[in-house]
Amino acid sequence: MSLTGSASEAVRAAPAVECRSIRKTFPGVTALDDVSLSVARGEIHALLGQNGAGKSTLVKVLTGIYQPDSGQIFVGGREVRLRDGRDAEANGIAIVHQDQQLVAQFDVVSNALLGNETVTAGGFLDRAAMRRSVQSALDRVAATFSPDTLVRDLSVAQRAQVAIAAALLRNPTALILDEPTASLSETEAEQLFGIVRALRDQGVTIIYISHYIDEVLNLVDRVTVLRDGRLVATAAVGEVSRAEVVRMIVGREVAQLYPKESVPIGEPLLEVRGLTEGRALRGIDLTVRRGEILGIAGLVGAGRSELAMTLVGALPRTGGTVTVAGKPSRPSDPRHAKRDGFALIPEDRRHEGLITDLSVRENLTLPNISRWARFGLLNLGREKAAAEELVGRLNIQPPSLKPRTRNLSGGNQQKIVVGRWLTGDAKVFLFDEPTTGVDVGSKIEIYRQMVELARAGAAVIFISSDFEEVSAMCDRTVVMRRGRIVHEITDRSEATPETLLYWASGSGDGSTAAEPVPTQSRQSAATDFLARWGTVIGMLAVLAIIAAMAPQFLSINNVFDVLKQGSVLAFIALGLTVVLIAGGFDMSAGATSQFAANVAAGTLIGGSGAAAAVALGGGLGLAVGAVNAALILLLRIPAFVATLGMMFVIMGATLLYNGGQALTLSNQPGFFFIGQGYVGPVPFVFILLVAVTFVLNVILRRTRLGLRMYAVGQNEAAAMLRGIGRSRYAFASCALGGLVLGLAGVVLASYSYGASALASGVDFLISALAATFLGSTMSRAGELTVVGTVIAAIFLASLSNGLILMGISNQALPGVQGIVLVLSISLGLLRRRSIGQILIF
Amino acid sequence: MNAIASRRQSHGGIADQLRDFGPAFGMLAVLVLFAIIKPSFASPANIANVLHQSVVLVIMAFGLGIVMAMRGVDLSVAQIADCAGLIAAVLMLHREPLWVVLLVPLAFGLVVGLVNGLLAAYAGIPAIIGTLGMMFVIRSGELLMTNGAEPQILFTLPRGFTKPFFFIGQGWIGPVSALILLGLAVLAIMIVVTGYTSFARRARAVGGNFRAAYLAGVDVRGVFAGGFVLSGVLASIAGVALVSRTSIAMPRGAEPYLLDAFAAVYLGTLLSRRGEITILGTLVGALFITFLGNGLTLLGLGAPYRYALNGGFILLAMAVGALKKNQ
Repeated sequence: MSLTGSASEAVRAAPAVECRSIRKTFPGVTALDDVSLSVARGEIHALLGQNGAGKSTLVKVLTGIYQPDSGQIFVGGREVRLRDGRDAEANGIAIVHQDQQLVAQFDVVSNALLGNETVTAGGFLDRAAMRRSVQSALDRVAATFSPDTLVRDLSVAQRAQVAIAAALLRNPTALILDEPTASLSETEAEQLFGIVRALRDQGVTIIYISHYIDEVLNLVDRVTVLRDGRLVATAAVGEVSRAEVVRMIVGREVAQLYPKESVPIGEPLLEVRGLTEGRALRGIDLTVRRGEILGIAGLVGAGRSELAMTLVGALPRTGGTVTVAGKPSRPSDPRHAKRDGFALIPEDRRHEGLITDLSVRENLTLPNISRWARFGLLNLGREKAAAEELVGRLNIQPPSLKPRTRNLSGGNQQKIVVGRWLTGDAKVFLFDEPTTGVDVGSKIEIYRQMVELARAGAAVIFISSDFEEVSAMCDRTVVMRRGRIVHEITDRSEATPETLLYWASGSGDGSTAAEPVPTQSRQSAATDFLARWGTVIGMLAVLAIIAAMAPQFLSINNVFDVLKQGSVLAFIALGLTVVLIAGGFDMSAGATSQFAANVAAGTLIGGSGAAAAVALGGGLGLAVGAVNAALILLLRIPAFVATLGMMFVIMGATLLYNGGQALTLSNQPGFFFIGQGYVGPVPFVFILLVAVTFVLNVILRRTRLGLRMYAVGQNEAAAMLRGIGRSRYAFASCALGGLVLGLAGVVLASYSYGASALASGVDFLISALAATFLGSTMSRAGELTVVGTVIAAIFLASLSNGLILMGISNQALPGVQGIVLVLSISLGLLRRRSIGQILIF
Repeated sequence: MNAIASRRQSHGGIADQLRDFGPAFGMLAVLVLFAIIKPSFASPANIANVLHQSVVLVIMAFGLGIVMAMRGVDLSVAQIADCAGLIAAVLMLHREPLWVVLLVPLAFGLVVGLVNGLLAAYAGIPAIIGTLGMMFVIRSGELLMTNGAEPQILFTLPRGFTKPFFFIGQGWIGPVSALILLGLAVLAIMIVVTGYTSFARRARAVGGNFRAAYLAGVDVRGVFAGGFVLSGVLASIAGVALVSRTSIAMPRGAEPYLLDAFAAVYLGTLLSRRGEITILGTLVGALFITFLGNGLTLLGLGAPYRYALNGGFILLAMAVGALKKNQ
């Protein structure tokens, strides 16, 4: 592609972004060394380089996440200092991240403008104006979906469009696209290129970061190549050939000696045929022999890690067969893969490889711990000896079993991850990027281990983006791209870094044309309908059964009775819902309302009027909410523990306040009207409930505050990227919820003519939790909503009323509520594959 | 366990020693204060009595601690104990043989623990929710079983029949009460279970990093569920021991133990250098909580102070942990 007229004009204009002599060092590494770069207005400028070349550091400097040690940044000819992401945005640099952090439960409008909302006076969201501006931004990226769509219903490519539209709404001087095609199919990527070109033609300056040289050369106007923290060259695409670009990216001296040895290669050990996994793997055929080291080269998003994960059963296979030593292997999880002879050395050592809080010894013997156990009892002596032997054999420093692995260097950590498989019967070793972040000495140790394993007759798969080490260490190499093996190199001398990069970055395999785009796995319409309306249908069915068995259930009087009974619970549940939106968890909700009920009753008994009772009750709830927030945010105590402690403190305080006596009210007609009065046939408390729910719904749904509370609660990372910190909104959630809980206590005192002596905070808690979570299953995206909570609370009240009418003992009620709670949670968890751990420390 | 683990490399300086033993000194100081205000608190008879009483809480807290070390939580422990005791009492009143009276409650604890474990580990329901729901299901069961919370009184039964059952909670073997011996036996078993079994290693891995343990081929779901089973069984032992000690089973009578067990586990983490849940730490925490309750009672301060202080101790333990982390 030749330089277009508009672009060549732009090159002459004042640069959109300019870096002068940027330097950035980290302990032991110079990440950027005297980098000077000028991006012209209206051009697409690519940054190229291998992993570790300095691209991401440069981007972080440009977006204010890192501060350069020295050097200057100019935007539109003006020097700027970028202290954080918001600062960079304000100065006209916007970025679209590779993993598109969006709030899945929000619609496109809210996502695109999060942190940048259009508000009218009073902080109300101007939805119409927001929708208009988002629609125009979506038009610029040629989006065909409605701005009202929920982001979780969009495909990956459509989410990329949302992310770009969101960035455009900031009116950036320069837009950075970080690996935008890494998770797209080729057709989707082609569409994206069209969008990027169109943006350039609209005058947007784009800095484009990618590993894929072909797509870059077809798309951009100029390229800048970084290598080892230095800028190698900046050139117009018309002036460089692809081969030259590859050379600039790779061309470093081979500084390292590789301990490669030839070992005899035996019969095939691992055979993979047609392995597929969703979008990531599209039919992989592999054979690895005993004694062979097979390299898998490829770039980010090529599907290499997914291949390893699928082989060990950590990702579900959608097709294909695998055999190990002739025996079929179809592991459902890594434990079964271990039995089949697989050993995985995962890519993310600290989070997926090691248990960093455990000692060297515990990590080394973990996978095969039963080897040293009889009837579950460990033979500690033999286990220790085995661990010691490994520490010596792998030359782990310091040579001790005791240190926590968190405190070891990256290389020694990696040796432990490798070493723990050496005690078992592993035959196939999957090394996924084993040398990232590892010092040179340890790298050589890891290479040696591979050779040793091969010599012992294992099959070794070596996944790496460092093409130099792949070319040096592997007997045979395959190159993966977009879920396929695109090339195989059997002759070691041909597997040069240049060749590998050439194939991995997407060239001439010619078979890219007709690619089946796997449609997003949408369920059938019926399943969708059930997921959306199942709860409502179920609730109506239950009510119908009750009405059929106990006809008086539907009598007008009974209905209003139920509404009255349900309203008190609904108030407590409302408060809990508000806290849960952004505050984490609240064990103290029931106890808070109980305390407030006591205080309100005590105030009235003490002779102060109803107004004082309401104010004190509400104020108390607010104060408890504020204390909870302080414990969670300032002392960083997990919400569960903080509110558990508070629950007990409040229960104690309640008993101190009422002296273990019920505070019974009499002769307070004004106050009793809140919980007991009627307006016509309608209980006043229900009218109050509707009013409070309406107000809360407006706050949560129609104001900036509410939108941001939801954002923080649902995707804290995405909110952070938009400059929305957790503290303010978590505090708002706790305080507002606390206020509602306090007022709920006042209503409770009025409804039950005072406060009971029991400090039974947990009883209210379970009902409120059941109502909250049941209510959440009624909303469009499964999020917590006040309206849903109220409906669910009234339903629970109807249920208990109906059970009593049907002659079932009310002693069964707590159990029914418990079951409803568990069922409503499990509805939302149908597809989640985790375990029910919580943060308790 | 990870979060409050301190990062410093300790070399055993005096300051470090103080920091390590500070919480233990603090607990001791509280108890000494009680002894000064109320000398009868420190009398050998009272101490022996409190140790005797503490066994129920110690056993229950061990179970809760096992679950919490894996970052789970079991809100149903006290209710399991309550119901197990109730079942034992009902069986006694039906004149069932001793082995039935003892084994049925244990089987109940096992099954409830299993259901908790299945919900949390296999269905993925957060442990707070699953066990809270279970707590209320059991409560309903108790109410239905006792016809609306009627106390099950055992001391009116013929002595000859109740004697073997009461021996657990009221008998003596030489100078030591049988209950304390039971506590010591459970302690010994727990030390073995948490120190010398492959289950313990896997459990530590699940608590440390569930994803890494999974990729290392650990049966994370089975191990996580196993913790709940252990917790359920221990809670049912505690419940039976409680009824044997008090000769009466009141529905919901054991519920206050939930708070005590939480406080014991969280206080116990203060005794570990890395803020981990350990058997010995939990033991000390549970003993302290029992002595504290006894001291408060002797001073004429009842349930409100106990609630407030225990809640405060949980927050204090976490705050100290947070300080350690920030060092």
